[in-house]
Amino acid sequence: MGELWRRLWYLLHRRRMQRELQDEMVFHREMLERSGTPRKHFGNETLLQERSHEMWGWTWIERLGQDLRYGMRTLMRSPSFSIAAVLVLAVGIGVNVAAFGLFNMFVLKPLPVRDPDTLVRLQRSAPGTFSSSVPYPSIAFYRDHAKTLHSVMASTDRDVILEQENIPARTRFVTSNLFHELGAETGLGRVFDPDLDDPKGAPPVVMLSHTFWEQHYDSNPAVVGRVVHLNHKPATVIGVAPRNFSGLGLPHEPAFWIPLTQEPYFVEGSTVLTDTSLDGMVDMWARLEKGVSPRAAEQELLALTDELRRQSPKSVWDKERLVSEPGGYLQAVRKDDVPMIMLVGTLVLLILTVACSNLGGLMLARGVTRSHEISIRFALGASRQRIVRQLLTESLLLAAMAATAGVGMGYLCLRVFLSQVNAPPWLNPAPDWRVVLFAGATGLIASVVFGLAPALQLTAKRRSGTRSRQVLITAQIAASCVLLIVAGLLVRALHFAVSGDAGYDHEHILVVDPDLAAHGYSATTARSYLDTAQARLRQLPGVTSVGLTSMAPLGHKNVTSLGGYPFGIFVSHVEPGFFNTMGIARLNGRDFQRGDTNEVVVSESLARRVWPGEAPLGKQFLLDPSNALSEKFTVVGVVANARMMSMHDPDATELYQISDDGSLPHMVLLVRTQGKPEDLATAVRTVTSSIDTGLFPTVHRLSESFQDEVGTVEKGAMIASLMGASAVLLAAVGLLGLVAYAVSQKTREIAIRLALGAKKTHVIKAMLRQFVVPVAIGLIGGAGLAAAASQLLRRILYGVSGLDPAAYLGAIGLLTVIISFAAWVPARKALGVDAMRVLRHE
Amino acid sequence: MESTSKQSMPSGALAMLVLRVLRAGPLHGYAIAQKIHVLSNEVLEVEEGSLYPALQKILLKGWVSAEWGISETNRKVRFYKLTTAGRKQLEAELRDYDRVTEAIKAILRTA
Repeated sequence: MGELWRRLWYLLHRRRMQRELQDEMVFHREMLERSGTPRKHFGNETLLQERSHEMWGWTWIERLGQDLRYGMRTLMRSPSFSIAAVLVLAVGIGVNVAAFGLFNMFVLKPLPVRDPDTLVRLQRSAPGTFSSSVPYPSIAFYRDHAKTLHSVMASTDRDVILEQENIPARTRFVTSNLFHELGAETGLGRVFDPDLDDPKGAPPVVMLSHTFWEQHYDSNPAVVGRVVHLNHKPATVIGVAPRNFSGLGLPHEPAFWIPLTQEPYFVEGSTVLTDTSLDGMVDMWARLEKGVSPRAAEQELLALTDELRRQSPKSVWDKERLVSEPGGYLQAVRKDDVPMIMLVGTLVLLILTVACSNLGGLMLARGVTRSHEISIRFALGASRQRIVRQLLTESLLLAAMAATAGVGMGYLCLRVFLSQVNAPPWLNPAPDWRVVLFAGATGLIASVVFGLAPALQLTAKRRSGTRSRQVLITAQIAASCVLLIVAGLLVRALHFAVSGDAGYDHEHILVVDPDLAAHGYSATTARSYLDTAQARLRQLPGVTSVGLTSMAPLGHKNVTSLGGYPFGIFVSHVEPGFFNTMGIARLNGRDFQRGDTNEVVVSESLARRVWPGEAPLGKQFLLDPSNALSEKFTVVGVVANARMMSMHDPDATELYQISDDGSLPHMVLLVRTQGKPEDLATAVRTVTSSIDTGLFPTVHRLSESFQDEVGTVEKGAMIASLMGASAVLLAAVGLLGLVAYAVSQKTREIAIRLALGAKKTHVIKAMLRQFVVPVAIGLIGGAGLAAAASQLLRRILYGVSGLDPAAYLGAIGLLTVIISFAAWVPARKALGVDAMRVLRHE
Repeated sequence: MESTSKQSMPSGALAMLVLRVLRAGPLHGYAIAQKIHVLSNEVLEVEEGSLYPALQKILLKGWVSAEWGISETNRKVRFYKLTTAGRKQLEAELRDYDRVTEAIKAILRTA
């Protein structure tokens, strides 16, 4: 240890130490001279000093310093090359940094809460079943009995109406300990306190989110203490959450925070605190006791679940257990996410590969102009290793600058992305140490990848360069080919998603969600509400028909998918008249009638997949084919495919059942209008809320949901095309450089051939022949790689086969055109050389 | 003066000799070389080419410390002084040296 310190001290004071060493030697020499020993005896003083201070062990750092200074000077001497190189590489690194930054922000970076590592999210799991949320009474049971959990938090979202406005505001009902547990007590006013806000009869309170406070109250601090009306119920504003408060990382910042125990006050009829069925489920988090592992907590909770089953058998599934995932992070990586992450990772790495091989080509081409300098350095006695090191140092310098620029680019990309998706303010895209480390490592690896081959090539005794040039071309073409194919596939799939017919008329429909379940409606009360609402809505002028379904089209709500089949089946509960209202064509059989129970209507593609080549009418249908005792349905009708769940659902394997007791409180009303649906929105809202003033129905146009879907899809397609385009651009630039280099090396040969009377076309052919094989290998290899990845792609793409011929042929065709152009331009230029001048110059 | 025995002294041995001559007290570089020369009955001659690198190494190891003083010719010069660690190192090296020479001698006697 002491020695290391001394070494460091020597490094920091090396100038002084050198001077002192020199003084000492001068003295020694003087003494020698005085004693009559010849001066020569002392030897080469400089060498002696070098050898002495080599002992300090820092020569490599000094050499590196020299190399860096020299490299810097070399790069400054050809600024256009340096800038081009840095830009090319910065694109490659920047794309990677942006992708990693996103991953970092969602998965690696903890939320801005106190002690994020002891937070876990708890979800219900049983064989074949899963639910992300837990009934509140069960949560209370776990909270009261678990010894491994230091505290338990819960949260659920529900819209409320502020004052007299008609626009619903997102509200998050949370347990009162949440702010304290997450260490977010620094906002304006006070935070919820279990002692003050949970007891029965506690005064109703609300906290504002920072953003809502800014936008709605102009950041006025006097809002604390004011009484506001939410769902027509008065409540006191006790505080404003801190600006960077993330809650538990749920997307979309709410406008209001309200204690969960006060939900029944604000949402009339809500039974969330006592309901043990699916309707009463809220999201559950816990903070582990110190030193307790999530696994140990799961073990204890498993025992508690058994206990809970004894007390309230209905609220627990067979073989149910609670599973935990890290709660202090925005997103935990699930198995389903892995293909997507791998795909994006591969794509951005491919762009980096293209950038690197591109830059390698540039370095190689530039090496020609430097060969003179390199041979001088060889002549001066520099070893090959030393020159390679010098060249690599230059690459390293370029990479360092590119990595710095890449961090900036990545940050900008993330900023743009976050503003596009209206991210909450606590989501911070600023690069942290992980991102910087990642960029540094990427740059380092890149510098070796693009720098080593040219450096070895340039210093090799026999300098033909053909082999490494061919390798570079093959790599570039293959990588760009994969990128283009994948981009093409993505664009095709996304195009399919939006261009494909949704299967219903979304232009003329209003979706009304009275949210009956949240207000504690039973099947009977829901039936009477829905009947009244339907009757009154039908009387509105301009309304042509009214339908009912449990699954609002494209609403991403109440999506139930049936397992047991090798594909998902999406179940909606509907009422007679639904298909007419939606404009879904009936192909065969009949519509539902009142009194149907076990009759179902299926979509065309579901019929085709379950009974290929058979007539589906009258077929018996098991809800769960693995369980012969499960309910049996009879198909009475077949309707056209309609993408009810999402536009990404290409198969539209839809199953329609008539509504039952369980589904009635979840129904939404579909109102079909003659003219523009927005003209009727207010009237529809008035009608549906006048039936029960405790309800606050939301009304929106179905085409809004449709536009949202299209918007997301278009953004995705744009990103994919941008990635493909940047790869192609990089590849084109790189090829241009490589061919130009090859031509410049052969200028003399071309001149001689032309002087001897060779035909120009022959010369061009001979020139370009060397590129044919690597280009072909690159194209074939790229297409092969893309095909190999198509298994992975299949899981992400919808509606398009991973081997879509249009995408493959398009990519190969486009690349061939670009390559031909990139090769032709410099070749043509070479033919223009004045043969005599070239030869005379030699 | 005809020191034909300008054998390339192993650097390890040189370090040991330097430490040994410093045991009596601090010396500057020239004096170290002189003393080794004189004490070896003018057989061993220390080249400056190996003395200074050796001294730097010993300094780094912490076996000697250096301080600036005034020489007999009234010049500022660096004096090297044995440290405790250096003393221990010297003892260890001497022990090793004795053992090896004894072993060699034993072979020479009997073989």
